[in-house]
Amino acid sequence: MPGVQIDPNDEIIQLRHLRKSFWTTEGEQQVLQDVTLSIRRGETMVVIGVSGGGKSVILKHMIGLLQPDGGEVVVEGRVISTPDYFDAATIRRKMGMLFQMGALFDSMSVGENIAFALREHNEGIPEDSVDEIVARLLGLINLNPAFASKMPSELSGGMKKRVSLARTLAVEPEIVLYDEPTTGLDPITADVINDLILDTQKQFHVTSVVVTHDMVSAYKVADRIAMLYQGHIIFVGTPDEVKNTRNPYVQQFVRGQRKLESVAE
Amino acid sequence: MATNRLPDPVAVLEAVGEQTVRSTRKVAGTVLDMLAAVGGVFAMCGRILWLFPQALGDPESVMKQAMDLGVASLPLIFVTSLFVGMVSAVSAKYQFRNVVPLKYLGTSVTKLVLLELGPVLTALVMSGRIGSSIAAQIATMKEKEEIDAMTVLDLPPLRYLAAPRILVGILALPVLTTISCFLAIAGAWGVCVIGLGVTSYTFLSGTRLFFSGYDVFVMEIKALVFGLLISLLGYYHGIHAGGGAKGVGEATMKSVVSSSVMILLFDFLIAFLLLRNTGS
Repeated sequence: MPGVQIDPNDEIIQLRHLRKSFWTTEGEQQVLQDVTLSIRRGETMVVIGVSGGGKSVILKHMIGLLQPDGGEVVVEGRVISTPDYFDAATIRRKMGMLFQMGALFDSMSVGENIAFALREHNEGIPEDSVDEIVARLLGLINLNPAFASKMPSELSGGMKKRVSLARTLAVEPEIVLYDEPTTGLDPITADVINDLILDTQKQFHVTSVVVTHDMVSAYKVADRIAMLYQGHIIFVGTPDEVKNTRNPYVQQFVRGQRKLESVAE
Repeated sequence: MATNRLPDPVAVLEAVGEQTVRSTRKVAGTVLDMLAAVGGVFAMCGRILWLFPQALGDPESVMKQAMDLGVASLPLIFVTSLFVGMVSAVSAKYQFRNVVPLKYLGTSVTKLVLLELGPVLTALVMSGRIGSSIAAQIATMKEKEEIDAMTVLDLPPLRYLAAPRILVGILALPVLTTISCFLAIAGAWGVCVIGLGVTSYTFLSGTRLFFSGYDVFVMEIKALVFGLLISLLGYYHGIHAGGGAKGVGEATMKSVVSSSVMILLFDFLIAFLLLRNTGS
């Protein structure tokens, strides 16, 4: 993204030869075969790929929700992907994640959702401060403070994602992971989310990893784009490099073409 | 023309052998899965008990669960207990006819309700009310990625979801069982006086006859253990639910079935341990 200085040698997240399989009714399905990818501090990396190809699985490995079958996940120089890694909380508090459907806590109001982690991680924090932070975060996502008393069931899909972002930002993460942030939204609401991703990076200087198959969103927010294809990262480059690459698989995906041959010609 | 050729015996033996190996593997896999589940439940139980002091430090959350799981169950307890007591009195009167003096009617109903019917029936009804509710709630939260969201926010689900629910389960069952026993005995008294021609004095003097505080102790121990089983298995099946509506439905069903079986198993174990040598 223009205006943000990124050191190419300062890699905050590294995925090294990641492998992951799941057991389904049809047998073992290897989703990640050999994924190697580095995320630089302060950049917005967008991972693109077909639906069901394992993009969200990559995100869940980065934040420790899944353990790999092989390979390593390194965050801030520490290998977090071993079962005996006890300091998961320390790393998690540096990270936040925006889930595909928002994942707001249904039994809590919008304000309680945003303030939940804030209250639990800062024992004795005055309620006035909590209310102030909630109002500020609601402002940041362009929602009226009156929304604090609404329940998640009263919100639209786009609003849920915005509130989920506010909840993520409440704990001031250094890394924000976005799982399909624009999926299921109309183009205008999707653009609002894209702007929020950009604003978040500008204001909080966070490192962002966005998983999407929405190329409009990818071109708008990405510093670099990585393409996941059949369990491997087959391409990493800037949006311009993606547009100009002769890699047939990348072009097939970017152009949304069903047959590979027509791209290769 | 059809030919009646006998199948090749070697092929038959091979097929039988293959099927045997496959079935044995399947059975062994199921047994291993069951053992892993039992181990998982015990391990989870240990971790949750460790978190109880933290859960008690959040009285608001515990109160909310107590209202949802405990107080909201009272109407159901009221109806089931009253009728259980009434039918017990009618059945006892039928069995006593011309054999046992009616002054023992109150004694037998009270003993039956305190030692068996009260705790077991309350627990079985509550496995459908509390256990299924916990399982469905947690499974839905898992499906909607709320559990992952809690983990990512470093708010451990065991502390924020499991501990308050299981604590309330353990505390609520003894209270609900006590109320249930009282209502069942009251129902039996009512039906005796109104419909069975037994005087109030006869019934009540019977309830006092051979009454032992130890019976109440056994009842409360059973209720406590059943409360733990119901809420723990509800949470366990919820958190291990598969995806979609099918997963939520299966988790609910498994929670009710497994806790019902465990209630009956532990009912026997507790009775065997606490009542076996008493009075001999």
